[in-house]
Amino acid sequence: MTAPAIAQPAARRKEGFSAFEMFVFALVVALLAIAVFGPFFAPDSIYSSDIANSLMPPSAANWFGTDDQGRDVFWRLIVGAQTTLLSAFLVVTLYSLIGVTIATVAAAGPRWLDEGLMRITDIGLALPGMIVALGFAAAMGASLRSAVIAMAITGWPITARMLRGIMRQTMEQPFVAGAQVLGVSKWRLMTKHVLPNSLDVLIVKWAGDIGTTVLVLASLSFIGVGAQPPSAEWGATIASARGYVSTAWWTVVAPGAAVAITSIAFGLLGDIIQVRRDPSLRGN
Amino acid sequence: MLAFRAYSWFLSRRLGLALLTLWGLASLVFLMIKLMPGDEAQMAAGADASAAQIEAVRERLGLDAPVIMQYFSFLGRLLRGDLGTSIVTLQPVLADLEKVLPSTLELVFIAMLLNLAVAIPAGIVAAYRQGGVFDATSRVTAVMLGGMPAFWLALVLQYVLGSVWRVVPISGQQSYGMASPIVTGAPTLDALMALNVGAFFDALHHIILPAAVLAALFATQIFRTLRASLLGVLRSDFIMAVRAKGATARHMLVRHALPNSLNPVLTLSGTQAGAMIGSAVLVETVFARQGIGAYMFNAVAQKDAFAVLGSVMFIGTVVCLVNLIVDILQLLVDPRIRAAQLGSQGQ
Repeated sequence: MTAPAIAQPAARRKEGFSAFEMFVFALVVALLAIAVFGPFFAPDSIYSSDIANSLMPPSAANWFGTDDQGRDVFWRLIVGAQTTLLSAFLVVTLYSLIGVTIATVAAAGPRWLDEGLMRITDIGLALPGMIVALGFAAAMGASLRSAVIAMAITGWPITARMLRGIMRQTMEQPFVAGAQVLGVSKWRLMTKHVLPNSLDVLIVKWAGDIGTTVLVLASLSFIGVGAQPPSAEWGATIASARGYVSTAWWTVVAPGAAVAITSIAFGLLGDIIQVRRDPSLRGN
Repeated sequence: MLAFRAYSWFLSRRLGLALLTLWGLASLVFLMIKLMPGDEAQMAAGADASAAQIEAVRERLGLDAPVIMQYFSFLGRLLRGDLGTSIVTLQPVLADLEKVLPSTLELVFIAMLLNLAVAIPAGIVAAYRQGGVFDATSRVTAVMLGGMPAFWLALVLQYVLGSVWRVVPISGQQSYGMASPIVTGAPTLDALMALNVGAFFDALHHIILPAAVLAALFATQIFRTLRASLLGVLRSDFIMAVRAKGATARHMLVRHALPNSLNPVLTLSGTQAGAMIGSAVLVETVFARQGIGAYMFNAVAQKDAFAVLGSVMFIGTVVCLVNLIVDILQLLVDPRIRAAQLGSQGQ
């Protein structure tokens, strides 16, 4: 038996997850589980008023107390989790689809079309997104549906800009030239070869986007152009509890903490995914 | 001569982009008006307008013309400064907004000062003592603050600092009887111009918490950006050379590392100045301050659609102009941006 002349590199060690990363994963999974299954367990009384029981402090019966209508704050948060997260997922999915479409057309299309679409993207990036979304939501009639549509039609520029850049890079790669030589049609080339090899950027962006979307959605509802009372959506809940902060702080603190925890959890998940994809960012 | 041509090239390009953005904004607002359910003339005239009044509005806005003509007359009205009429105040929206703009600009200005005054030192210390206790705590704080809804932070701090501890006033722009004659419309500035020191500190006392909340929203970004940028610079060779020649840590940081890492911070704070104006809508109303954000918030509550859309147009325009000014200032301040912008395009 002779030892190999060249030392074999040790098999690349699989990196485990740190305790902090596990905590963030658990938090996100818990939030998703609450949003999906929680509302099934909620009592029917969360939409009906019980004035005799209004503004009760936290107790064994009402863990987070009751609001001005005597409704249980805890169970309204649970039901609101579904509304909030479902809306946020819808918004991010919709604007990602718009962004992907615009990026693909810009990357594949002739120069003038690319220029035109990217100038439109510039305009979108230069405008204050939340204010324009507010305008659209107000114009369509204040409702959760309007807010979701408004955020979808104002949220796409960053995705479109990033993805178009990546797609242009992908198109320079040899395998794309190879496919072209083999006579693959432009449409097929873009959708089957270039796009799937450029989508990484969306996967990395996705979790962080949910975090910011939750915040903006709550803001729009607070301003009054999103979900309307008696919806249990968190921003709308804060808006209707606003006047009771000095007499019953739990009615305001609980839904705000829910927004903060959700937004922070998804934001951290986004950071973790990003560092895993690009370890040079570690420590920053 | 070459430099002059390079500058004018940059300026015309940047102005062109600003005009394009404003045109895009105007088109979006027109689209919003067309998306409104119901009769536009009815909406513009108000809920209790008579049939004759509605017809007069329809006539004035040219709503019987084809949509494309309506679009051009809409753009024409915007160019003349007509943002529509509020059905609540019965005033032109532009006149309403002009009155409260200085108050918002003052809030944003002070918030920006607080933002930089806290985030820059924190970023420097965190980067210099990377991995230390301060670094860890300030990073955790930044993550927490970054995820909090601004209006909620405002409500909670207002309750704790204003109602429970009573260290700041709960709301308003000045105490009763402390109002100075209105010259600019910005309370602290008016107090200064009236040479009224008491009123000045009173106005400052009222603005500190709203400005701090607005600053907290944006300080996390500045902190993260400066920390990352400074960490990069501190690892570079020339810093090692500076240390090797025997420079003190302070000299190295202040004279060498910091000037080389402030560039991204400068760019970011420029973008933030515009974004802060938009975020004022979340803060002003909680503290019962006047301003374009509070005006818009009230317009939403009163279903004053044209005032809302007029505010969107106005705020968008202010943001574009602020961004334009910041870009030009940056060009004048930072030689590297000057080289990048002028060198590549200015032959």
